[in-house]
Amino acid sequence: MNNYNFDWALVWGSLPDLMGGLATTIQLAILTIVLAMILAIPLALARMAKIEIVRWAAQGYIEIFRCTPMLVQLFWIFYALPALTGITIPGFWSALIALTANLTAFMAEAYRSGFQSVPVEQVEAGQMLRLSRMQQLRYIIVPQALRQQTPVILSLNISMFKDTALVSTIAVADLMFRSNVIATQSYKALEVFTTAAVIYFVIAFPVSLITSHIERRSLQPPKPKPFKRADASPANPIVPEGVR
Amino acid sequence: MTATAGQQSTVNICEAQAAGQHHLVSARGLRKTFHENKVLDNVDFDVDSGEVVTIIGRSGSGKSTLLRVIAGLTEPEDGDVCLDGRLVRSKGQRTDEWNAGASLVGMVFQSYTLWPHMNVYDNLTLAPRKVLHMSKSEASDRAAIALKEVGMEEFIKANVSQLSGGQRQRVAIARALMMRPRLILCDEITSALDPPVAAEVLGVLTRLKHEEGLAICLVTHDMAFAAKAADRVVFFSEGVIKVNASPHEAFEECGNAELKSFVDAVRFG
Ligand SMILES: Nc1ncnc2c1ncn2[C@@H]1O[C@H](COP(=O)(O)OP(=O)(O)OP(=O)(O)O)[C@@H](O)[C@H]1O
Ligand SMILES: [Mg+2]
Repeated sequence: MNNYNFDWALVWGSLPDLMGGLATTIQLAILTIVLAMILAIPLALARMAKIEIVRWAAQGYIEIFRCTPMLVQLFWIFYALPALTGITIPGFWSALIALTANLTAFMAEAYRSGFQSVPVEQVEAGQMLRLSRMQQLRYIIVPQALRQQTPVILSLNISMFKDTALVSTIAVADLMFRSNVIATQSYKALEVFTTAAVIYFVIAFPVSLITSHIERRSLQPPKPKPFKRADASPANPIVPEGVR
Repeated sequence: MTATAGQQSTVNICEAQAAGQHHLVSARGLRKTFHENKVLDNVDFDVDSGEVVTIIGRSGSGKSTLLRVIAGLTEPEDGDVCLDGRLVRSKGQRTDEWNAGASLVGMVFQSYTLWPHMNVYDNLTLAPRKVLHMSKSEASDRAAIALKEVGMEEFIKANVSQLSGGQRQRVAIARALMMRPRLILCDEITSALDPPVAAEVLGVLTRLKHEEGLAICLVTHDMAFAAKAADRVVFFSEGVIKVNASPHEAFEECGNAELKSFVDAVRFG
């Protein structure tokens, strides 16, 4: 590589093409993340259900996706599922299904540990105030679980963003696929893949920074400032009637 | 109060009561077993309107379970519960009247259960807004009143993390008041507090009884409160109510050796 002649003009010329690929990558990542973050709620609830069959089914689903390579999952949906059902799913949609199914499994586990971090008495207090099960979830459990699990959720999403590169193997024209095509045609693998790496990095790195910032902050909670009363007079003492 | 009230009796307890005096809460034949451990063993329990009942007893005797069964947080195997003349539980099962009856009951817990991601105002108004569909202004008005009743009116905009333990419990009482209960169940709500702060919180409850006619059912280890502020003391042991009497009778005249040794143990550590 000592005498390698960098050809950045080539990269510049193919930038529109790469950006087209990036658009597909981002589209796929965002759709996957949004869908998975929604679908993971019922899956996490099923994973904690009182009914054993429901719980086992949810756990089985999660373990299948956690314990098999994502590439196999992708190929299975793209190549194997049509053999089973007779329906061929286009590449982009196969990719979306596989990535969503995968991320949902991991996200559900993050949600579950978030849900379980909310003290049960807080939920029972909601029950005593006649909040419905859905209202308890919506107003008490989910907001706290999300807050507690934000770093985990963000890093899962960063991983997913990077893993979208796998879909190039089933001919989805994402950033990785287009880079590969350009590199193969031009024999300029170094410039092209370096550019691709930089593009992935520029997007993932800020999110990673935010993640570690949140993590640091949650490790050392700031001392809450005492609340300033509107009225500066000494706290109106409540004279206990029965107790002296 | 360990009467073996006939479970087969066809007269429901609400009707039976209608003739005589009318209890706010009337429970008969409550049974609850955890893994063959009889935690409530055929318990009969009444609370009248505006009455302060303290429940005392050793750890594990079933005090919390009794409150939780009345609250509906724990399902008993058997027993009838009547709330303000409504049969809400029959032979252990909730009846159609459950929701109507249960809305009369509020609860405050030992651990701090204010929702920490909301401020005091939102803690108070969430249920009235979402469950009772109260308007915003009505909910605000009621929140101001409820906070005043517990001496916390300046804290309406405070975050939960800015409150001390005693303040949190007072706000938790105010939150329960928002739903206009007739009975508040309190499970060791002062056991994490310093004695003067605990006295302040218990003072709030006593005042609510006098000013609002609220019935209060309080599990406590505070014998001084049980002796002075309660209308009635219930001593619980091994899932059975052993003593059910006025504080004077319970503490001064009672012949129950178990209660005596329990009180001595609490007093002298
Ligand atoms: N959810 C549960 N599952 C299993 N056992 C339980 C459960 N809740 C309570 N128990 C058991 O029932 C018994 C009575 O518990 P309970 O909490 O009612 O006692 P308590 O009188 O409130 O005690 P303490 O003073 O320690 O709060 C205990 O032996 C406890 O271990
Ligand atoms: Mg208890």
